[in-house]
Amino acid sequence: MTFCLYPTAICVAGYSSDKNEILELLLPLKLFTDDNQGLCAERDFKVVHGGFSDGSIHCLKHIPGTRCVVTNDGFNSNLQVWDLGGEDCDVIKRTGVLQLKSASSDKGVKIAPGLTGDPCVLHGSQISDIQLTELTSGKPLYSLGKDIPDLLSSLQFVSGSVFLACACNGDLYVGDTRNPSGLQNNPAGGREGVHWCMGVKTDLSSSDPSSCSVARLSSACQVVVSDLRDLRAPLFQAQLHVQRKTTSDDFMKVTWAPALDNCLAVSGFDGMVRIYDTASWRPELMEFQPLFIHRGHMMSDDQFDTSSAVVTTHVWHPSRPRTVLSAAVDGSVHVWDWVDKATASC
Amino acid sequence: MPEIKVTPLGAGQDVGRSCILVSIGGKNIMLDCGMHMGFNDDRRFPDFSYITQQGRLTEFLDCVIISHFHLDHCGALPYMSEMVGYDGPIYMTHPTKAICPILLEDFRKITVDKKGETNFFTSQMIKDCMKKVVPLNLHQTVQVDDELEIKAYYAGHVLGAAMVQIKVGSESVVYTGDYNMTPDRHLGAAWIDKCRPDILISESTYATTIRDSKRCRERDFLKKVHETVERGGKVLIPVFALGRAQELCILLETFWERMNMKAPIYFSTGLTEKANHYYKLFITWTNQKIRKTFVQRNMFEFKHIKAFDRSYADNPGPMVVFATPGMLHAGQSLQIFKKWAGNEKNMIIMPGYCVQGTIGHKILNGQKKLEMENRQTVIEIERCEPGCCHLSLEVKLQVEYMSFSAHADAKGIMQLIRMAEPRNMLLVHGEAKKMEFLKDKIEQEFTINCFMPANGETTTVITNPSVPVDISLNLLKREMALGGPLPDPKKPRTMHGTLIMKDNSLRLVSPEQALKELGLNEHQLRFTCRVQLQDPHSDPDTLSRIYTHLKSVLKGYTIQHLPDGTVMVESIVIKVSSSAEEPNTKVLLLSWSYQDEDLGSFLSTLLKKGLPSGLSSM
Repeated sequence: MTFCLYPTAICVAGYSSDKNEILELLLPLKLFTDDNQGLCAERDFKVVHGGFSDGSIHCLKHIPGTRCVVTNDGFNSNLQVWDLGGEDCDVIKRTGVLQLKSASSDKGVKIAPGLTGDPCVLHGSQISDIQLTELTSGKPLYSLGKDIPDLLSSLQFVSGSVFLACACNGDLYVGDTRNPSGLQNNPAGGREGVHWCMGVKTDLSSSDPSSCSVARLSSACQVVVSDLRDLRAPLFQAQLHVQRKTTSDDFMKVTWAPALDNCLAVSGFDGMVRIYDTASWRPELMEFQPLFIHRGHMMSDDQFDTSSAVVTTHVWHPSRPRTVLSAAVDGSVHVWDWVDKATASC
Repeated sequence: MPEIKVTPLGAGQDVGRSCILVSIGGKNIMLDCGMHMGFNDDRRFPDFSYITQQGRLTEFLDCVIISHFHLDHCGALPYMSEMVGYDGPIYMTHPTKAICPILLEDFRKITVDKKGETNFFTSQMIKDCMKKVVPLNLHQTVQVDDELEIKAYYAGHVLGAAMVQIKVGSESVVYTGDYNMTPDRHLGAAWIDKCRPDILISESTYATTIRDSKRCRERDFLKKVHETVERGGKVLIPVFALGRAQELCILLETFWERMNMKAPIYFSTGLTEKANHYYKLFITWTNQKIRKTFVQRNMFEFKHIKAFDRSYADNPGPMVVFATPGMLHAGQSLQIFKKWAGNEKNMIIMPGYCVQGTIGHKILNGQKKLEMENRQTVIEIERCEPGCCHLSLEVKLQVEYMSFSAHADAKGIMQLIRMAEPRNMLLVHGEAKKMEFLKDKIEQEFTINCFMPANGETTTVITNPSVPVDISLNLLKREMALGGPLPDPKKPRTMHGTLIMKDNSLRLVSPEQALKELGLNEHQLRFTCRVQLQDPHSDPDTLSRIYTHLKSVLKGYTIQHLPDGTVMVESIVIKVSSSAEEPNTKVLLLSWSYQDEDLGSFLSTLLKKGLPSGLSSM
């Protein structure tokens, strides 16, 4: 199960091997009201649009400013483009396929929607084949062209044309779609055999590089935080105390809270989502305890099951502080928050 | 073609006012007869003119079936049976029969006495209507007449709610009414066997909803109640007499016990006894757990919940009160509301849908000031004119809405389809254009058709019923003697016979027997065909050559060269002749009977090709 969240709705999709559904669910009104208001008519998700996919959906991203999502099945480099539909019909239809020019066989791709300008999407399976494609025409607008076969684990725009690409080995590349030959490499200095992914927090209204924080998460449960001023030197880092329940690195995810400062969420090692406050973290590697752990996905039918539950993805609510949506292998979607002990009264 | 017709009645696509007409095997059945609570004019009743423009409905309907006691499923029943006119049987389960008249009378009182309606059914009409009711037991097949039978299944949702199977011959329809696929604290979940109906009719109001977990919903409810009570406030929960109220009572009772809460919980007078009485009477309709514990302790004999008295509303300190009616439009719940509305420490929790126009609806929409007619207790009086006295109520208490209604959502509908395995699916009360995804989903997952008729629109489903027929022993023996694979339901075998339909029996007999029985003579059909052939031999020689040719081609067939100058292949006769002017142009005469038609036409085609040259005449 994977999903992506945009202001009023959430799009979820399954990733079993054959037919899957893509559903656009209206967020329950309860998430739009303040705690104090008291008037809350609805707390259920409503299916607004739905569609069918022949293959699995590994990656699902909404393109801002459009009613489109793009998906990838994790087995080849094609992107499926879907139209979420309007008022008159509730079926999500596939409208096209975007291809990666210099694709490398059977790997899935990572996707980053363009943030400004005409709808476009950045995608690639390894550093060398990263390409920016215009959504409507399918025309490639930019490609990296550097022969770096490192596998990609995360891809994200930090401004209209600058993007970050995190390779599986932890190296962080900074590219600019206006400048195809320019590419900056910032190695993570990690150990061999460790898989990395990244989470980026950007402030589009500010051009100050310190406002863009990058957190890299390793499969050894380390988090390294830097910002755009100098991606090589970690500002601070932490060793997380996690007992991995799954050997797959596919679900590792680290994200920054949009409505809070210095707040990170980590998931994908087991059936829990952990929240960390990085304000107390230091440049030297030390172990830190989480601020909060969501264990809900391990509760199945009144039984506490630690073995099979794995959280596949999570996302922060864009405006409600301390509110996270997470999904797990059993198809459950949880919307939860935690009480901030410091400010709670009673 | 045999077909089943389904038409939902009504004038609009709102929630409520369930009334569906089904025509099956020549029988007409009305499923539910609900009232729409939002309208005050004729739009609140289903449009019966579809059945007949004037006059009574009795001759047009074989029976009426009511699924459960909610007014949007039975509210228009007295109007239909007594004011429009229907004298046939009305089927419903025992609890529905017991509770229906109480709700109808309650509703009638409010509509007529309080609102002063005139074109409404009377108390006597309700009584007369209920006299026509025939009660149903679960899983019991009831013969409405010698062709139509019905059977009720457990639907959950509320006490006595049923799903109904309607069967005529081998065609059947299942109507779900409102149902719930997840059990709750006092009712079980809906269940049906793999009855494989031709059509499964289901409500689809919540079909596009993915419900929040019951746990979260209950926890939120309990949290709100707890918070209010802890700060000394009062909680008012307006409920209908029977239905979700019992569920919430059990929930609160369990919570109070666990948390050792001291604040009192009250239940409107009259309500407790009535509800308890019915739940005790119909204990078999509640869920397993309640039945099991009933011997030691009656779940509805509450420790922490007591009967309410009017004067308690003025008591200081926290309390929780369940009061009727549910939409705050009159009665005790409204009285209590007027007393508690001005204090922001208090809370009101609306546990269900409120129809537009009711106070419940207004406060849920955030209205903070209400204009009401002054009936009894007054909080503030604003006299604006002599002789007119109304009160303006400020709503300061916290207003919460928690939907506890037990309806099937998208997942539930799919589950039910999996259980019953219908051949076709029909969804009612949805928004047609927004249901295409669900329609696709059902069609793809189960490869069945899914229909969504609008109110007043008829859906016709072609069925494929099997007709049972008696076969004569002779014919059966003859077929068995033919050999071949044993009969298999998955591989139908074609056979020949004659079907005799006499009176009401259908018999399959051999043609000879049929002729004998009917006193008819058998006609013999013979075909004759002339084939021209060029052959330089004499006629007899040509015939011999034909004989040789056929013997080599048709191995395994009886071929004779007879002394009378003919060749016989089975029963087919072949003669050769020629005219004196053209002795080499032979005319072959072939003659065969109908039974040998295939062989006959094969022979004529074969001989048209001519004789091979290397043949010698033996």
